[in-house]
Amino acid sequence: MDAAAPRYWPEAQAGSIPYWIYTDKDNYLEELERVWYGPHWLYAGLEVEVPEPGSYKTTVLGARPVVISRAKDGTVHAFENRCAHRGVRICQERFGSVESFTCPYHQWNYALDGALQGVPFRRGIKGEGGMPRDFDPKANGLRKLKVECVNGAIWASFSHDMPSFREYVGETIWGRYSRVFSGKKLRIIGYNRQLVPSNWKLMLENVKDPYHAALLHVFFATFGLYRPDQKNALEMDESGAHACLTAIMPPKDAAPADGNAVATSLPGFDAGLQLADSRLIEGVRELTGTETVSVMSLFPSVILLQQLNSMQARQIVPRSVDKFELIYTHFGFEDDDEEMQARRVRHANLFGPAGFVSADDGEVLQMTQEGISPDAENASALVRMGGAEIKDATHMATESAIRGMYRYYREVMTA
Amino acid sequence: MNDLVRAQLAVPSRDELHDFYDSYFETLDSARVSEWPDFFVDDCVYQIIPRENFEAGYQLCTMQGDSKGMLIDRAQAILKTQMFAPRYCRRLYSGLRITGRRDGMITVRQTLVAIQTLIDGPSEILVCGVANDVLEIGTVGLLFKERIVVIDSEMIANSLIYPI
Ligand code: FES
Ligand SMILES: [Fe+2]
Repeated sequence: MDAAAPRYWPEAQAGSIPYWIYTDKDNYLEELERVWYGPHWLYAGLEVEVPEPGSYKTTVLGARPVVISRAKDGTVHAFENRCAHRGVRICQERFGSVESFTCPYHQWNYALDGALQGVPFRRGIKGEGGMPRDFDPKANGLRKLKVECVNGAIWASFSHDMPSFREYVGETIWGRYSRVFSGKKLRIIGYNRQLVPSNWKLMLENVKDPYHAALLHVFFATFGLYRPDQKNALEMDESGAHACLTAIMPPKDAAPADGNAVATSLPGFDAGLQLADSRLIEGVRELTGTETVSVMSLFPSVILLQQLNSMQARQIVPRSVDKFELIYTHFGFEDDDEEMQARRVRHANLFGPAGFVSADDGEVLQMTQEGISPDAENASALVRMGGAEIKDATHMATESAIRGMYRYYREVMTA
Repeated sequence: MNDLVRAQLAVPSRDELHDFYDSYFETLDSARVSEWPDFFVDDCVYQIIPRENFEAGYQLCTMQGDSKGMLIDRAQAILKTQMFAPRYCRRLYSGLRITGRRDGMITVRQTLVAIQTLIDGPSEILVCGVANDVLEIGTVGLLFKERIVVIDSEMIANSLIYPI
């Protein structure tokens, strides 16, 4: 197909998603501009990752390397990790602590907020050469992003014309967000990094899809962690871009009644399977409310997940049209005792590249990309569970939030 | 364990050590996953941990178990509940070295590479790293008390299904 040809969305667009959006390279580049570098708050890390003045971390937002740093006055800054002189990536380490940033090539020096503060031989040598007189260091710092720290998480945007984070996600999602990020001091438990061979949007779809959770994830259904009949809430912001899926697991001794009939009818369900060490899924309640699972997908860059006592941010870093990195940052609270720390590490077995549950997702995303790529120009996905509507639900038999995301996506991409 | 028994449990020879690991890796390479926990004592620790976590003192692992029961659960999940594309995996080790000994136990270190082959795909390095093990010298032979695999490979190509 001609690369310049306009892309086509099927008429009944709310329930059909054309496959070219997962395979088309030009569309991918357009996404970087409109979505990733557009008016969206991108997850950039946790404040505890840059604890002191001088602390920094490096990350990638969209396709651009970015430095997150804490200045002398305690404020957090984000700027592109690309020297204003000739483009060298200045910072190579993932984390560190510095007085200022110096480019290794010609030693241009930048302050902790990215401002240019030193150019060697700016006045030349013995009056010869040097930068032109009108060279203005103030106008040649590292390219800055807008930053907002929200209850322990750092959000950054390439667009400087942004509403507050709270306005961006809307009041419903804010309620879910502030349940996990209440402002209580966090503690890093560690990282897992995974390269998933699929388009990045498939990851967001996956966590907006309560339908698959009890079907693909036999582990959930088998060990009672997610049952098709349990109390669910699927909520979206007004735009449809963001969603949160919450579930309340029935108490262990609650009579399963017909609920169990739904679970036992699932393909793959084996009533004979028992855990040899049930500590794997034994949680203690620590957050407000009775939710045992909360999966927030904040378009476009992150999934904030809490299940049992595992809490994690899964940052999406697109690498190409058919590949993205998924960076898991697991965290707990600063005042966790050893038992709680051990519990979080145990529960983390469900997630990440080797996760009892997450590995299923990585695999099925790869299979999706492999399935749709050969004929992406001529086919589309059928996303009609729950009809064509885009609204909140209290059951799992809906793909409403996927339709919601693509309604928003389509607006952004065609505006 | 009394002193007499302990004295009889001599430190294994390099041959015995190699036999133990060869049989461990043969079990895993042949995907006899349900036999994997049998190489561990009940009260064991198993970890595949990214090097960045290990060096920073973070406890998060990519794969973890702190009892033989949890390894049985891992085996059971792989065999019965997880969904993944079929694959072969081979584990190669070198530099096997006894790094210490204490009451009926030895600590052992080895360098590791695991190579994965997906159906229709080329063989690719899945992870590389180093294992720091604690082996219990029992009357029936060696068993893992601890196996801590620290992986250099920080970016895993999609999934890590089988243990190392
Ligand atoms: S490229 Fe950075 S100082 Fe020259
Ligand atoms: Fe899933």
